[in-house]
Amino acid sequence: MTVEQPALALRGLAKRFDGTIAVAGVDLDVPAGSFYGLLGPNGAGKTTTLSMAVGLLRPDAGSAWVLGHDVWRDPVTAKRLLGVMPDGVRLFDRLTGAELLAYNGLLRGMDPAVVDQRAAELLDVLALGDAGRTLVVDYSAGMKKKIGLACALLHGPRVLVLDEPFEAVDPVSAALIRDILTRYAAGGGTVVFSSHVMEVVERLCSHVAILAAGTIKRVGTIAEVRGDRSLEQVFVEVVGGRTATGEELSWLSQ
Amino acid sequence: MALPVSAATVPAGPVRAVSARHFMRLKLRVMGNNFRGQGWRIALFVGGALVGLWFAVGGFFLFAAPGITGDGRYAVLVAAAGGGLLVLGWLLLPLVFFGVDETLDPARFALLPLPRRTLVTGLFAAALISVPVLAVLIASLGLVLTAWALGGWSAALVAVVGVLGGLLLCVAASRAVTSAFATMLRSRRVRDLAAVLLAVVAALLGPLQVFGLAALRETDWTRLTGVATVIGWTPFGAPWTAGIDVAQGRVWAAPVKLLITVVALGALLAWWSRSLESAMVGAASAGKAPARRGATGGAVAQLFPRVAGWARRDRFGALVARETRYWWRDARRRANLITIAVVGIFVPVMINLGGAGFAADNEQGLTTGASDSSPVLVTLSMLFVGVLASVTLANQFGFDGSAYAVNVVAGVPGRVELRARMTAFSLYVLPMLAVVAVVLSAVLGRPGWIGLTAGTLAATYGAGLAVNSYVSVLGAYSLPETSNPFAMNSGAGVAKGLLTLLAMVVSAIVAVPMVVAAALLGDAWLWLALPVGVAYGLGAALLGAYLAGDVLDRRQPELLATVTPRR
Repeated sequence: MTVEQPALALRGLAKRFDGTIAVAGVDLDVPAGSFYGLLGPNGAGKTTTLSMAVGLLRPDAGSAWVLGHDVWRDPVTAKRLLGVMPDGVRLFDRLTGAELLAYNGLLRGMDPAVVDQRAAELLDVLALGDAGRTLVVDYSAGMKKKIGLACALLHGPRVLVLDEPFEAVDPVSAALIRDILTRYAAGGGTVVFSSHVMEVVERLCSHVAILAAGTIKRVGTIAEVRGDRSLEQVFVEVVGGRTATGEELSWLSQ
Repeated sequence: MALPVSAATVPAGPVRAVSARHFMRLKLRVMGNNFRGQGWRIALFVGGALVGLWFAVGGFFLFAAPGITGDGRYAVLVAAAGGGLLVLGWLLLPLVFFGVDETLDPARFALLPLPRRTLVTGLFAAALISVPVLAVLIASLGLVLTAWALGGWSAALVAVVGVLGGLLLCVAASRAVTSAFATMLRSRRVRDLAAVLLAVVAALLGPLQVFGLAALRETDWTRLTGVATVIGWTPFGAPWTAGIDVAQGRVWAAPVKLLITVVALGALLAWWSRSLESAMVGAASAGKAPARRGATGGAVAQLFPRVAGWARRDRFGALVARETRYWWRDARRRANLITIAVVGIFVPVMINLGGAGFAADNEQGLTTGASDSSPVLVTLSMLFVGVLASVTLANQFGFDGSAYAVNVVAGVPGRVELRARMTAFSLYVLPMLAVVAVVLSAVLGRPGWIGLTAGTLAATYGAGLAVNSYVSVLGAYSLPETSNPFAMNSGAGVAKGLLTLLAMVVSAIVAVPMVVAAALLGDAWLWLALPVGVAYGLGAALLGAYLAGDVLDRRQPELLATVTPRR
């Protein structure tokens, strides 16, 4: 092992929608085995970037490689190595949790016996076994995230790409998801996830990139990016937020 | 911190009342924003508007004909029959084919402090802004012309009021009926009842058809005028005939007929308003099913329903199993299946029984025996059923919405995807088509024709599958994520109806060899039709999946983008 392939490499990814630039040339190298946080305010282009990186959205320019396989030229190999949990995308939610897992597993060309065994295990660990024959459409938001994660993990991907895995999740489920992800990374997997929750990123990630207005503003290991300040301070400074002075919105006080 | 909140701090009433005008402006704005930067949407809209205009002008001259010729005898007939057909069309077509335009989704207004009356009038006013409404308005102005020509200005004035009332009646009817059906289909308990009701509604098509064909043949026009006079006193005909009544001296009838219209309109709006409430709260609690326990077997065994139990436990099998479950569990898809079942039985029976005499005029020699229908007519009606069944797949990816991302991420090959979707759909449709074939030949008293009916059905259905694979890959559009199975997305409703129509026409053209064979080959064809038809249909479907699958492989992300609803 002299030169290790990056788990995920993005070069010059760009996308515009109806004249507005959503992502303006993103370069990123995610080292294999890292726990990578993609930070950014709402509308920074996180979802667009990740969608282009996993083959859900065709980029206007640039390319993406998963462990050296081009996502857009050689999608079959690249997609085999990937586990994806998109955000704001429905699951096939008129299936039960078990049915959904079986569907995903067979769609990935897995052996039915292995699917059965892993599905049972995942449902058990994620505390979804109690849901029984409830359709996923009737799940709570946290349960939907958990079943989405289970679907992404089922085929044992080498790289896991998660869009907002901690959004709308209660603390108990969040702790469980964190736990599973940490174990997955410790076992040699690579996790890339987007978030705007600083605490989670600070606690979990080995590397972090801050995305704002469609470009990468800061990138590196968490120590490099943070320096001697808190991640939140760096983030707000980079993104350029404002703080309320107390003069506006005076009508809010009764 | 904990400031005491007295009762006095409850917000005062709104400074300016919300009126229907706001809803209309909102609808125009939403439509306008949908067009922004999307040239093809504008093109579709303009195309739809032009077709609407074409029908409108045609309708205008039909309605105006008695006035232009100055012949008052058939004025009531034209007004009552034409107007009645318009109302009936507005009632049934949204259920069967097109759906209703839900640019303004009622559920979005649930949190606003609006009185229900304001909401209903507002949504109603917004619903009036559409191409079909404009087209009907233009067409029905022909009635005003007739009234003016026959009875002068006073008659014309009454006709204007009547026509406007009739137009309101049309829109209210379509809204009330679709909303009520949507409510029924949403609730899991009464959905079977809804299926039966839909069957009854579609059955109304039958008598109508008989009436229409009778009208074509009937030389005794005075009897038809009698029927028209009766229709004129029902809500279907009342608004349209009021002006003619004044023109023909029955001045007393006009106010009564206008009153009938107003009462019917009020009743429809009240009905709509009731189901609207459940549509608004229904979005939040769409009938949560109790957690059924006792799942048997492993995850894979649970995925495969019994009808798909034969499928191998691989990628193809998983797709078939998932699709099979979806055709039943998704209200939108289930509504489509029910429509196929009902229309598929009734229309051919009505065409072949009602049209028997019609056909006998052209096809001498073949008319001996129990029924006087002809192989060509039977073939044509089967063509219609096969095409109607397959066109349901024209937007098959739109049903999935953004969930299709799962298949993209897994990198499912296009051919496997399309073949699996066809297979799953056929698991429901082929038995239905078999029943249609058997029932039709039984009703006609021609058991020997079962090969003809079944063969034609197989051929057209297969051809339709092939055509619609292409349409579903290239012409997909997103469906709104509401629980109303009849909801269409904003604006381009006419254009989407046209796309469906185009898919049907092309499918029919692909299946034309079956009709030609039926016309040319005579009795031998009765035996050949089944094997030839099945081979033709199967071959067409496989070829379609093969070719369209190639296109799908190249377009997966683009397809995902078009079926993902914009938020």
